[in-house]
Amino acid sequence: MDKTKIAGPMAVNIAAWALFLLVLTACFIRTECNPAHLIGGIPWILSLVREMFPPDFSRWREYLRLTMETVAMGLWGTLFALIISFPMSFLGAVNTSPNKVLQAVVKSFFTFLRAIPELVYALIFVFSIGFGVLPGILTLTLASTGMLGKFFVEAIESVDPKTIEAVQATGGHHAGILRHAVFPQVFPLFIGYVLYTFDHNVRTAMAIGIIGAGGLGLELFRTMQTFKYPQVFAILIIMFVIVTLVDRVSLYMRNKIISGEVLEKGNKALFISVSWIVVAACAGLLICVPLDFGQLIKGMPFLFDFVSKTFPPDFSDMPKYLGLIVDTLAIGVSGTAIAIIISIPLGILASKNFARYPVVFNIAKEIINFCRAIGDVVFALIFVVAVGLGPFAGVLALGVHSAGLLAKFYAEAIENIDNKPKEAVEATGARTIQVIRHAVFPQIMPLFNSYNLYILDRNIRTSTVLGLVGAGGIGFELTMGIRLFQYNKVLALLIIVMTTIFIVDKISEHIRKKIV
Amino acid sequence: MIKIRSYSKNFKEHAVLTDINIDIREGENTVLIGASGSGKTTLVRSINGMVVPDSGEVYVGNERIQFKNKKALRNKRKHIGMIYQHFNLVERTTALHNVLTGALGRLDTGMDLFRSSLGFFEKKDKEKACEMLSFVKIEDKQDKRVDKLSGGEKQRVAIARALMQEPKVMLADEPTANLDPETSKNIIKLLMKINREKGVTLVAVLHDVETARNYFDRVIALRGGKVYFDGKTRDLKDSCVREIYGMEKAN
Repeated sequence: MDKTKIAGPMAVNIAAWALFLLVLTACFIRTECNPAHLIGGIPWILSLVREMFPPDFSRWREYLRLTMETVAMGLWGTLFALIISFPMSFLGAVNTSPNKVLQAVVKSFFTFLRAIPELVYALIFVFSIGFGVLPGILTLTLASTGMLGKFFVEAIESVDPKTIEAVQATGGHHAGILRHAVFPQVFPLFIGYVLYTFDHNVRTAMAIGIIGAGGLGLELFRTMQTFKYPQVFAILIIMFVIVTLVDRVSLYMRNKIISGEVLEKGNKALFISVSWIVVAACAGLLICVPLDFGQLIKGMPFLFDFVSKTFPPDFSDMPKYLGLIVDTLAIGVSGTAIAIIISIPLGILASKNFARYPVVFNIAKEIINFCRAIGDVVFALIFVVAVGLGPFAGVLALGVHSAGLLAKFYAEAIENIDNKPKEAVEATGARTIQVIRHAVFPQIMPLFNSYNLYILDRNIRTSTVLGLVGAGGIGFELTMGIRLFQYNKVLALLIIVMTTIFIVDKISEHIRKKIV
Repeated sequence: MIKIRSYSKNFKEHAVLTDINIDIREGENTVLIGASGSGKTTLVRSINGMVVPDSGEVYVGNERIQFKNKKALRNKRKHIGMIYQHFNLVERTTALHNVLTGALGRLDTGMDLFRSSLGFFEKKDKEKACEMLSFVKIEDKQDKRVDKLSGGEKQRVAIARALMQEPKVMLADEPTANLDPETSKNIIKLLMKINREKGVTLVAVLHDVETARNYFDRVIALRGGKVYFDGKTRDLKDSCVREIYGMEKAN
């Protein structure tokens, strides 16, 4: 037997693990996430949770109005984003754009819009035009124009070129080709993306509300500030219910539309009635929560003033900013590590093929749904109260929210494994934990890695803005810059944040391609 | 070694097996035959508790299989090796790792459990796994990922995994159904060698009567959910085979 063959990869493995643990420890130390702090934080978190009981719904009329505001924000934002990005996307797609330069410009415009975190838009709009629904709608409009634009362009570019050729061959003009060859192919995808964007915007509306953009988020922030924890809990429950509801409806409609089931007879009636209810509800909301153009017009000069004063960017505090960027990265890494640790057991418990007790399975599923439904910024707000200002709160917030995202991915991956080897290892008399390690883990490993990487990427992106609610990293400096009217510094910070996100994005894209 | 008493199993309303009684002595090699859906696989999977009967009992080595008692079942399974039609290997890991999973049942307490749950094995286990791979004659494939192996090689890895358990009983559920005739013959010969040299009681399910006749000492045939024939292979008449596969009406 060749012993070096067994020893060889093991040594490399150990070295890689050692390096990984070293980086992780450094991140944990940097984010004050040491065991003492973790354990010391638990009583605070528990006492906060205890103070939240029982939830206080006595102001339900107010909550109903705020819920409508939040959902309407998501709706207005999606609607405007659709109006802007729909025509532009045909200019931005290689196969439909009349002009190459124009195509490149439109595409980079979409990329630019997406590169700025939503909370940063919200911060600027709230600062320049005041509190309320309007800055929220502007935020969602810009951010989701970038998102929808990217989706639309990708959908158009994936259209089968043969159909376009065939319509061209009949002598059709440009508009005719768009209408009859491109549009029918991308239409179901477009609707799917719009629904997804709406779903996303409702979640985001809650988060940006916290920094002043109206709706439930703002109310959550206010009740938090006044220590009315039972009301905080009530709002959290409402948020959970809304997000779950919107998520379910949007998922149902997306699945029906994209699978083409809508066209079949039997399913049509239910789908059409659901669609009409959704459309009517949307119209109702848009009427109930109208746009305040007065505020927009009054705010415009402030906005322009703000933008013009940011030039030139002031990088004089660069060493400090670099330190903050390291903090931000460390928050992202530590948060992801905590998320992975939580979501491995959670994902296993929430997968159907390991559900021995239905009660445990359902509890695990609901925990996952809750963590997913409440955004990281909301969690950050709560953890800042529980464990104090600083990166530790940010790590916990990222950890808890992305544990929900990851656990759902893991559970799906585990449910999709080949059960035969799992059975075979069970039949050798192995314990469940051994079966997981030796028959399940090897099967989900590639997916596991790419999901973790995706979440790491996402968490670093989010960690740049957690500082806006006081949870550490570069975001705090950004808030201070705006509050203290240091506009040139704000621009410098924005450039740094966008560069960081861009670089992390490129690196993770590169590694992901290698894994797949 | 194996006793099956008044065994019955239904799937939904449909009775698959009714009142089965079988005795298999230690060291015997037995083949189960029968038409598709006759319940051969169900029966063999009950011997290690992967299928729970509706009524009746299964004894392995004088002890009753406790289908509901997880710990007792696990302890019983440690000594029962099984190979499958689809090999049921963990495709993304090496041949050696797959064989090592056969040792997991033994490594189920204290430090052993801790180490194996982290994915590590002791040197002696690795050496033993290598030994098993050379017994089934694919020692050169030890570090190959299983998805890179041929069907015959995969089944050999699966056999090595079962041998790693140091089994008293070896169950084989249509082990050659996905292999070409030549490879099938070699796999059956290998199973016979294990039965002869290691004294392992062998119970195989086969769909191919010729192979059953050429290699096995004892045949148990199932028909209509009952034991239709149970005896020496040489006593199995052609007319009986035709009846088993439903080509002629029974009686």
